[in-house]
Amino acid sequence: MNAKAEKIRVASIDPSYYQAVTDAIRTEAVKLLSEEAVVAVVGYLPGRRIGTAVPGLVTTPEQAQQLIFSPACVNNLSLYLTKAKKGVLKKGKVAIIAKGCDLRALAGLMGESQVKKEDIYTIGIACAGVFGANSDRKGGLTEASIARKCRECTVHQPEGVDLLVGTLPELPQLTALEAQELARLEALTPEERWAYWKEQFSKCIRCLACRQVCPFCYCEQCLCDKNRPQALESSPRPAGNTAWHIVRAMHLAGRCGGCAECERVCPMDIPLNLLNRRMAMELKELYDYEASMVPQEKGPLTRYQEDDDQSFIK
Amino acid sequence: MHAEKLQHDFEPKIVAFVCTWCTYAGADLAGTSRMQYPANVRVLKFPCTGRIDPVFILRAFQKGADGVLVSGCHPGDCHYMAGNFHARRRFAAFRALLGFVGVDLERLQFSWVSAAEGGKWVEVVTELTEKVRAMGPMKEFKALEDEEQWSGALNTPELREAFESIT
Repeated sequence: MNAKAEKIRVASIDPSYYQAVTDAIRTEAVKLLSEEAVVAVVGYLPGRRIGTAVPGLVTTPEQAQQLIFSPACVNNLSLYLTKAKKGVLKKGKVAIIAKGCDLRALAGLMGESQVKKEDIYTIGIACAGVFGANSDRKGGLTEASIARKCRECTVHQPEGVDLLVGTLPELPQLTALEAQELARLEALTPEERWAYWKEQFSKCIRCLACRQVCPFCYCEQCLCDKNRPQALESSPRPAGNTAWHIVRAMHLAGRCGGCAECERVCPMDIPLNLLNRRMAMELKELYDYEASMVPQEKGPLTRYQEDDDQSFIK
Repeated sequence: MHAEKLQHDFEPKIVAFVCTWCTYAGADLAGTSRMQYPANVRVLKFPCTGRIDPVFILRAFQKGADGVLVSGCHPGDCHYMAGNFHARRRFAAFRALLGFVGVDLERLQFSWVSAAEGGKWVEVVTELTEKVRAMGPMKEFKALEDEEQWSGALNTPELREAFESIT
């Protein structure tokens, strides 16, 4: 909570902070696994190149010694509880490492009954930020290499976790680039905005990485894969692309936790999180709903009030 | 008997997504009461406004609609108790999204028309048709539909030359 107030301008984050978090994660993971309190830990392992990290599933105390936390730990691991690693959950309790933004996704999944709170053990990380996609990672986490979402993060300090690791270092006050971009787009005329999004969406190659990486896109059959009747065109043409991105933003409205993984994985650099942010703003304004780190029973679009605004309806 | 048919330069295509219990019955009442309203509207009947997916609206625009009307029961009158309450929230969000992407929201109209409001149906349809007629055809989505290449940037001199050599 007070993390934001404490922010002051510093060049980069002290490496000892990452070492301390890594050590705390390892100690806890080893303890949990050797006590057999959990069957697996979903965490980050070192990548093959120095300074990289990959998501990993750890099942023995020996393996747990390799867990790390660094600014390269960009992935939202809550994804592994819904789709790819669905089988793991059945065997027993799983521990998962979560940054604040991942925790919002996790809370959302609990709210949607995709994950049971008693089935997981959350290790929350007081996160100072992670690298942005395609950033120069040589100098550690700096203002140039930090992800855009982390520049205006409000969830450095996780809440409602089973174990909190790390103490937040002093964080630099960074300009909110994404909020500025959003404000810039809002100020344009509808024609200019259409031209902007038309150009952005025309880049789309429909690899659907944004869907695959999203913790909330867990439908067994996606609407966009359906034919007969076909809801939206599946080939990467402007018409289908526009429809896909509008539908994606609509399906995530009121659910998105703001981890911005979609934007990170986009090979064509489409600013997808702007759409998500815009919808989150709208739902906050209309229905006073915000994604939170503790599960909420219902999202804004699955409940209603009799006196909801209907000024746009005749 | 019939009012004189006016000739217009542009006849907009209006797609109306209506709920079967209220607005469809309301439109039916307008018909049986022999009220006149523009024939530009194509009515699609749904069980409830809650069944009307935003994708339908998108698809209507893509396939050539110049205006879309979504209409159902008044709040509290839903045959399924809460379908229109949920729809109201969903469409409020969807409107905001379309607005952010740059779609002219004047072409998208929502209304509550009960089974007894044949007159209101006529009024809503007429007003939307005239509004869209004045605005002209919906070009944005149709332009997208006509574009074949996924990137308009593929137009380098080399490519142009190669293209001309084969045609």
